[in-house]
Amino acid sequence: MKIEKSVIAALLVLVVLTAGVIAATNDPERVGTTDVTVCCQKTVSGLLCQDVLENECATDSEFALPTSCESTGPCDPGYCYDSEEGTCLDNVPQMVCNNEGGTWSSDKPAACNLGCCILGDQAAFVTLVRCKRLSSFYGLDTNFDPDSESAAQCILQAKADEKGACVYEEDFEKTCKFTTRSACDPDSLNGHSQTDTSGGNLFENVGGTTDGTGEDTAGDSTSGDTTSGEDVQPSPTGCQNIAEGIEFCPGMLCSAEELNTNCGPTKDTMCVEGKEEVYFKDTCGNPANIYDASKVNDDTYWTYIIDKAESCMPGSANIDSQTCGNCYYLLGSYCGASGIGAAKPTYGTNVCIDLNCPASDMTGGVKRLHGESWCGFDTDRDFSFQENAQSYEDNVAKSFKEALASLHSGGGIGADFKGSDVPVGSKFYRYICSHGEVLVEPCADFRQEECIENNVAGYSEAACRVNRWQDCTAIYTKLDCENTDQRDCVWLEGIQYVLMGGLSNGTVLDKSSLAAAKEEIKKFKSGDRELGGCVPKTPPGLKFWGTEEGDNAEAASICSQANAMCPVTYEKGLVGGGWECVENCECLDEGLQLQRAQLCMAMGDCGPKVNYIGSSGRTAGYKIFEEDLKKKK
Amino acid sequence: MNKNNYKQNLYRRGMEKRGQTTAYIILAIVIVVFGIIVYFLYPRIGSILGTDTQPGDYMKACIAPAVDEGLSIISKQGGYIDPEGYILYQGQKVKYLCYTTHYYQPCYVQQPLLVSHVEKELSEYLESKARTCINDLKKYNEERGYEVIGGNTVDVDVSITQKVVGVTVTAPITFKRDSTQEFRTFKFGKASEMYSLLMTAVSIVDFESTYGDSETMIYMQYYPELQLRKNKLIDGSTVYSIKNVKTAEEFTFASRSLAWPGGLGFTA
Repeated sequence: MKIEKSVIAALLVLVVLTAGVIAATNDPERVGTTDVTVCCQKTVSGLLCQDVLENECATDSEFALPTSCESTGPCDPGYCYDSEEGTCLDNVPQMVCNNEGGTWSSDKPAACNLGCCILGDQAAFVTLVRCKRLSSFYGLDTNFDPDSESAAQCILQAKADEKGACVYEEDFEKTCKFTTRSACDPDSLNGHSQTDTSGGNLFENVGGTTDGTGEDTAGDSTSGDTTSGEDVQPSPTGCQNIAEGIEFCPGMLCSAEELNTNCGPTKDTMCVEGKEEVYFKDTCGNPANIYDASKVNDDTYWTYIIDKAESCMPGSANIDSQTCGNCYYLLGSYCGASGIGAAKPTYGTNVCIDLNCPASDMTGGVKRLHGESWCGFDTDRDFSFQENAQSYEDNVAKSFKEALASLHSGGGIGADFKGSDVPVGSKFYRYICSHGEVLVEPCADFRQEECIENNVAGYSEAACRVNRWQDCTAIYTKLDCENTDQRDCVWLEGIQYVLMGGLSNGTVLDKSSLAAAKEEIKKFKSGDRELGGCVPKTPPGLKFWGTEEGDNAEAASICSQANAMCPVTYEKGLVGGGWECVENCECLDEGLQLQRAQLCMAMGDCGPKVNYIGSSGRTAGYKIFEEDLKKKK
Repeated sequence: MNKNNYKQNLYRRGMEKRGQTTAYIILAIVIVVFGIIVYFLYPRIGSILGTDTQPGDYMKACIAPAVDEGLSIISKQGGYIDPEGYILYQGQKVKYLCYTTHYYQPCYVQQPLLVSHVEKELSEYLESKARTCINDLKKYNEERGYEVIGGNTVDVDVSITQKVVGVTVTAPITFKRDSTQEFRTFKFGKASEMYSLLMTAVSIVDFESTYGDSETMIYMQYYPELQLRKNKLIDGSTVYSIKNVKTAEEFTFASRSLAWPGGLGFTA
């Protein structure tokens, strides 16, 4: 006869304690999903139309209604139209919009419809009123196409507008403006002080020629009063009569001798807003062709427009070139004033300035182009490939083997095992090279966003993307788990990684926990569950600290999903001998216990993890204990 | 030339050089002192030198520093002189232009019509300064023997447009001496990229309130003169700084939209 003794070996997980870094704020209101809130017109910190706890409403708040702001008339979010600027904003509370003088509507008004606004050779994808406003800034007629479908199409429309010399008379003198055909008309020329609008624009912000900025700009100054034409000179070849006294000469520069205007070549250069290249400047202040020192006295070069591709050194950045101003923005050069200590151009004062970032620790030791972006993390991480499910599993297996070997040889499990690849408090960053400077953009805290990177031909682009980890542990099959269209999870194969759904509260085992475990076992038999666990590919950070009771309840509940129990059967002979394990003895193996610890860490900031400076928590991070199952029955 | 003469010459040259150095130092001190005097006395310097400063120039010189100061405060604090509903970021109050208390939801716009608001805010900031300037102008002209009529009502209007911040001070005032000079408004324009910075902020707020986040790279790609800094903080707030790299003007504001909690955020 044998006496049986059942023992439960369970890995109970405790949250790693670590020091969180909290931003210093004046702590404006924010609420959790379970708080009972009111819609408050004004909160104590001065925010408008917010769902807050009642005691966070300002004393002078017009109302504090026991409903959500979304369904409260004055705070109903909708569209707010600014009739002066011609802009629309969505999600604006009604009273906020009205109080500021805007026009509010719950549905998108027709005035908010976007179209293509052509401004010289620039374009903006904006509303009609915005188009009128922008056109007025440049003294141009409104040219709006409501049927344009996208910003990209709009820019193409602008590029299609032909450029050339617009010849007209001013103060009884024949003069010229380098512009587009559509901008070469009496209205645009009259009272227009800008010479060119250029460059593609997605939203708006179009600009005129910038050639130095005057500190003191008279707000009411106007210039360029066009007199009506008297005797128009015979048109040179190709020039077309636009209106009385106005001719447009496509493909020609204002400095062309045959146009007989008062504009001629100079040895000066200029930068044109929205354009990357350095341009020669004529005596009237118009841009001519791209600066090429060898062509400064070339009459043809001062007569016809030469394409960028046919100008000096096309396809090169020409950074700090003394002789060529064919800058290339995508390669990190842009027209700018030659700085102190920088190379001086042979003519003029502008060169292709360098916008790229030199190699440094922040750039990963390589030179980065302007506009390039790449990923970073608080610890070393290889972003050159995007981690897939297989590589994740391989890493888990490798880490486990190393830790086990270390343990068998008498060493500790080490920081590598303790989640040093995703330590507590760590987050992702996006680095951007901009104007020779590396900008750091943190992704969302708690690893709720992760950085993804793509590198094509040495040019890297990165972005912070939402980490969709939330439903991983509710998935029971490998196929669903690794469906990257829906979630960012990985499947850990094997019974040792089976999640038992928050078994026990982390301290004791009770009857309901055992009953729940039995239910789960049934699912394996029916095929609803596969042997393994679905865990977040990037474990999220958890808020495991706080001053009040229950502050870390959610963290504890997430971590406890990795709790497990394993019924081990022991036997003891009637006569002599000790207890011997006869069933599920592998549960007593430290290897399996390590794997459960791995699973625990995969839940989030759980288990024996280290923090981002490599320090372990005050406790082991998990607990293994035995209980006599017989007593529970 | 014997050895002694040579030494004497060397000594004399040394003395001459020392004398020259002293003269340069004195000259430099004179220039610096003159600069300081001009700095502190302008625009009254005209009066001291016996020439009349035109009222328009006087007003411009008087109010221009306040315009710079006002713009500087406003641009650091999200368009407000004294903001409510702000985040304290690096010791600076930064106004939330869009905010939600909730997790997972896009924000509610807190400040639509941003350009008009900044115009109003700057006007209010300049009003007391303009009043002081008008009073100083009256006093200055009275000291010059003018009879001053009016100047009791002062109104400031600010207009922010493409590349210009325009300030119009309306203060009907008349100066009488040999002839009569009547002034109704004083206009002053300052070259500034504030308008495009504000419109970029409006565009970002639009993205934040509609989608919950914005992509800074597109602005930098389309507008080579812009540099955007975006800093996400642990409470879900984002602080944006939009800078024009040519003029070094900057506009900073905050937003809390599509905030993520630690974990699932089911507890407060």
